[in-house]
Amino acid sequence: MTLIDDRSDLDPPSGPAPSTGATAPTAPARRSVAPEWLTATEIGLCPCGCIGKRKKGNVVAKTLNGTANVARQAIYADEMASAPGLLQRLDPRTKLIGLLALLVVASLSHSLVVLVALYLMTLVLAFASRLPVWSFVKRVWLFIPVFTALVVLPATLNVITPGHIVVPLGHWWFGGAIGLTSQGLRGAALITARVAVSVSLAVLVTFTTSWPRLLTALRSLGVPRMFVTVAAMAHRYIFHLLDSVTDMYTARRARTVRPESVDGLRRFVGASAGSLFGKANHLTVEVHQAMVARGYVGEARTLVPSALGPLDVGALASVAVLASALVVLGHAVAL
Amino acid sequence: MPSDPEPQVLEVDQVSYAYLGRFPALDQVSLRIAAGERVALLGANGGGKSTLLKILAGLVFADSGQYRAFGQPVDEDVLEDEQFNEAFRSRLGFVFQNTDAQLFSPTVRDELAFGPLNMGLEPDQAAQRVDDLLDLLEIAHLADRAPYQLSEGQKKRVAIASVLVMNPEVLLFDEPTAALDPATQVWFLDLLDDLHRAGKTLVVATHDLATIDRLADRRIVLGEDHRISGP
Repeated sequence: MTLIDDRSDLDPPSGPAPSTGATAPTAPARRSVAPEWLTATEIGLCPCGCIGKRKKGNVVAKTLNGTANVARQAIYADEMASAPGLLQRLDPRTKLIGLLALLVVASLSHSLVVLVALYLMTLVLAFASRLPVWSFVKRVWLFIPVFTALVVLPATLNVITPGHIVVPLGHWWFGGAIGLTSQGLRGAALITARVAVSVSLAVLVTFTTSWPRLLTALRSLGVPRMFVTVAAMAHRYIFHLLDSVTDMYTARRARTVRPESVDGLRRFVGASAGSLFGKANHLTVEVHQAMVARGYVGEARTLVPSALGPLDVGALASVAVLASALVVLGHAVAL
Repeated sequence: MPSDPEPQVLEVDQVSYAYLGRFPALDQVSLRIAAGERVALLGANGGGKSTLLKILAGLVFADSGQYRAFGQPVDEDVLEDEQFNEAFRSRLGFVFQNTDAQLFSPTVRDELAFGPLNMGLEPDQAAQRVDDLLDLLEIAHLADRAPYQLSEGQKKRVAIASVLVMNPEVLLFDEPTAALDPATQVWFLDLLDDLHRAGKTLVVATHDLATIDRLADRRIVLGEDHRISGP
């Protein structure tokens, strides 16, 4: 684009031509084709400095920052999955089989000793896999109270789980005692411990295995190919679409001079959703074309993973021995 | 006695195409591309270059006119024949402008293996080809990375590798040098030279006039009227 029109058939500029004092031919006159406002200087920031009202980020900015943070965490998780730790060296299939076996043991166990032993084992494995242990613990225990408290707490009361009241809480209006029973508390502890162990095991596997390798393992363990393909593509393109949304918001923000109204933000979110849908649709068509161009006719074929190595065989044997030992221990101890 | 002319591998005859039947992209376009030729498609945005490439790749189909590849007519019906589809797809590769659309697999290795496996190669043969291409294009260190972790230049290398691994006779490139840094552009031009010397037919849609002399021996210009207006 040019703001100057250098066509020779334009009228010469008004006013006397400047004298050059020479006989050399002068260049053809050029006239601005830009409107006057485009060549004038906009009034910018007041020279007296920042004296306006300050406003915190809005809900859209916070949401986008949050989702961008999730994406960053996913990339960070990939870094952890490639660290030189114990579990990272194992084949994802071994980890998935081990996870399944230990989840079954944890779910069927009625022994707190077994569950505590399993939980301590997850901490040792986290340490041996070079995971940040404190972050690993936090991730598990921040999640558990929210999702288990509502389920577990009522079951500790004698009105739900009859038994010996160990923590009296008073009386009902009709005279009956109410309190926490030892049976209820034990049940609550069992459920909480099961959830903690299960979540810890799942987090261990996901932190030490990259998503693509996990998908390959799922495929080779018999999960339907279509399910795995859809999951893989969703994971592949969610970051791409997230980037598009962030770019759209950043571009809007770069041109937002005055504070945005709630209505304006609502319109932006609506328009962005529509625009993103259009982009996703266009991308879908192109991805399908790219697949067809390389011979896709409805069934995606994939590389066959290599056979399990001695380390994996040893790990699977260890898991089998451990699971059996925990089952026996669960029957042997009273607690 | 004059030598035989090179056989025509791609022949487009009076092809027209309009998106949604209303927005014209190509109007009565005809062209012939001989085996081993290097052709550049030039023209303004919206002139129909990408559409023409997609017609050549058998991904969209002309509203009227005829397209023949390797001496055979190509249309939607013919490509439903599995044997023909497999032969056509393995002989003609298409590198998309949008690398994010082209790289749909979870890892670079999976991406490169997709084409050979769909061509019907045994997994160990496909794996060998993948390893060879990873080394050739100097992307072995990216093999287990996810596409979203790659830079634009790395994505372009992987996209080219994902097509080259099928060893096609004809390669179609849509805006291959767009968004590439100068070093990657030089690498790409060297690669095209090598492919040309290997006898591949190359068709490149581009806006990049700075590299046009190295990209192609013949130029075809699509005008704003969606017709061929160049030499």
